[in-house]
Amino acid sequence: MTTTVRPLPLLSSVAAAALFLILPSAPAHAGTVKGVVHLGDEAASTRLYQGYWRLENGNVPVQSSGGAKAETVVVLEISKDTHAPAARTVTVEIGGLDARPRLLMLGPGSVLELKNTGKVTHEFSTPDNPTFMPVERLMPGGLRRQKFTAPGGYLIRCAEYPHIAISAIVVNSQYFGTLDEKGNFTIPDVPDGKATLKVWTRGRWAHEEEIDTSKKEALSIKVSAPKGKETKDKDSAE
Amino acid sequence: MFLSKIWFILIALAAGLAVTVALVAPRPAVQKLSALEGQRLDRAQYAAEQMLKVDAHKWIDRVSKLGRDAIISESLDSATRGAGEINVIHKTVQDRFNALIPDLANSGIAALVAVDNKGRVIARVGDNDKEYGDYVTGAEMVADALRGYLSDDVWGMNGRLMRMAAAPVLSKGRDRIVGALYIGAETGDNFVERLKKNLDVDVALFLRGKAIATTAYPSALTPLPDLIAQHAQEIERVKRTPAIPFTAGNDELLAVAAPFAGQAGQQQAFYVLFGKRPANADLAALLKNTSSDDLKWGHFPWIPLAGGVFLAVVIGLLLIRNEGENPLRRMRADLKQLARGEIFKIQDLQYGGRFGGLARDINAAIEHYTHAPSAPSAMAGKDLNAILGDSAGGKAFDLPSPGSAFASPPPPSFPPPPPPSGFPPPPPAGFMPPPLAFSPPPPPPMFAPPPPFSASSIPTLDADVGPAGPEATRVVASTDDGDEDTHFKNIFDDFVATKRECGESLAGLTLDKFKDKLRGNKDALMSKHQCRTVRFAVYVKDGRAALKATPIRD
Repeated sequence: MTTTVRPLPLLSSVAAAALFLILPSAPAHAGTVKGVVHLGDEAASTRLYQGYWRLENGNVPVQSSGGAKAETVVVLEISKDTHAPAARTVTVEIGGLDARPRLLMLGPGSVLELKNTGKVTHEFSTPDNPTFMPVERLMPGGLRRQKFTAPGGYLIRCAEYPHIAISAIVVNSQYFGTLDEKGNFTIPDVPDGKATLKVWTRGRWAHEEEIDTSKKEALSIKVSAPKGKETKDKDSAE
Repeated sequence: MFLSKIWFILIALAAGLAVTVALVAPRPAVQKLSALEGQRLDRAQYAAEQMLKVDAHKWIDRVSKLGRDAIISESLDSATRGAGEINVIHKTVQDRFNALIPDLANSGIAALVAVDNKGRVIARVGDNDKEYGDYVTGAEMVADALRGYLSDDVWGMNGRLMRMAAAPVLSKGRDRIVGALYIGAETGDNFVERLKKNLDVDVALFLRGKAIATTAYPSALTPLPDLIAQHAQEIERVKRTPAIPFTAGNDELLAVAAPFAGQAGQQQAFYVLFGKRPANADLAALLKNTSSDDLKWGHFPWIPLAGGVFLAVVIGLLLIRNEGENPLRRMRADLKQLARGEIFKIQDLQYGGRFGGLARDINAAIEHYTHAPSAPSAMAGKDLNAILGDSAGGKAFDLPSPGSAFASPPPPSFPPPPPPSGFPPPPPAGFMPPPLAFSPPPPPPMFAPPPPFSASSIPTLDADVGPAGPEATRVVASTDDGDEDTHFKNIFDDFVATKRECGESLAGLTLDKFKDKLRGNKDALMSKHQCRTVRFAVYVKDGRAALKATPIRD
């Protein structure tokens, strides 16, 4: 994590006071929280559900891309100086036995639209909380709306095709970040202080820890994926 | 009776122990059998898992082999490149599929699908074979195939379970992936029958909480999904449940469930192997499962059992005879002797236990009725029933009670006799007092030697029979001191008169017979007790005439 201190320019005190008045909402000290999330070997697979065999063809190199990193997000829960993302309506297209996008960051009050553009019927629900979003058939061409008001992580899964799973993360702050191909994340403009860092990957909160955002250390978070134990260590290198 | 009681207690304990052993002993065997059945199911589950694995590889090989077909490869290459009409390509691929697999159903294939390298369906045979042009890239197995992987999966769709296998289709030069094929084998009735045949256990398949195929109990497997759900942790850890007992109809079963691999595992897709649980070990189950063969000579220890029972019965009977019947018999003989006057009392020391107590009670009763507190004569008050018998002069000869008119007066040191209204009760029914003509027994400590009798000691009627109540006895004593005949005549007259007063019949009662009887008993008493004479008296007791005899020594 790196905290960048922005020193006040050595202007006249009047100019400084004027600048302070112009930017009333900016935190006095803010920095960037960044690090890397190490997911387990299984998370490198593009498949959520494995069969008995997975063999390379022996002629053409296999292409690996995606995997759990594409479905992982790091969220900071901070009690001060936060602004929830604005409520919005997001449409997820269900077609080709797939859902796009699969990971959504929403503000409270947002509405999720599930639009079936494929040729098969789906049955979406939130299996972990069936009362929130019960199983409902979504016919080809059909649309289903769901409003999210409470912050938290929601996994929406198709009962007929369980690999179609949509992660809707409702946050009440703007401090979150996704992973790049190497698992790195960056969350800018984080105010100094205590915060709770949570990692959501493949439909669950896989890691949670308390951090001090004022420390200039890069976080190295190990998450054994997707249903094992997780460990973490600190990497002093920035 | 002590040993008899102990014996019966031992028999009861032995019987209880035998029943306990009979009920408890099968339990370890049942538990062992249950464990063995569970192990058998575990082994069957392992074998089933291997079969599924081998099957999956077989399907991968098969679809991979189909993907190496030149026509299919070229067609998909064309579709990927956008060369040619999609309808024509579809027709070409579909015809090729039909040519390669003419009998799709018998091959166990439910669907065979070819996609180009974008995941667009080019052709299908089997399910939905008229549809093409849709995309299935989102299916992980298909996406894997398009990346270059050969893999398998299990899908649960529309209430059906499908074992899937996919393989990439390479270009003719085998340098590019031009598409993929995937195949679906329906996993239903044929599959469970094949598993049953190979594993020798019943098999059921569950998908999303419903049984979709089973080899037995099609309508009785409803509780299984909930039971399986209770073992989610074991399933997560070891990919199968322990042996789960459950009831299907009238049968007690054991089941081992394991999830299917692939995404069907997320859809509560399980294969369940189950077999009959060993019968319960309770009494009803034991009897229910007992056959006639179990009771044949060779299988059941009839001889030892019968010998044991016979021995127990014999020992019990011997103990009863020794401790119950023999003392009773001896006591009865003693009582008869007592009644005949051959003995004075029962030798209670010869009896043990309650019989000894009974003998002492009898002796105490005899003492009570024959020995007044005033140390009456052993002869005083003896009942003449034993002397004369019922036929001598009719009946109603009775024991005089201590303190009655014919009992010796108490010595001055003794308390006064009970008031006239308090005559002691008659002896118990059936109890025959000892006759006067008994041989004198050795004087027990409790029996003081009777004092000498005196004629003057005979109380007068008026002295002893006062204002009696309804139960009082009126005594008509003869005080005649004349010769024997006169005395007997007087007694006879009194007796007849008394019987008349009492309203009794005089049939068969003659003076001669009466005299003969009195004379014989008088002689017997005199010789026995060395007394000078015997005086008789008539009295009324309980409304009937009765006689009393009193030896006179001086």
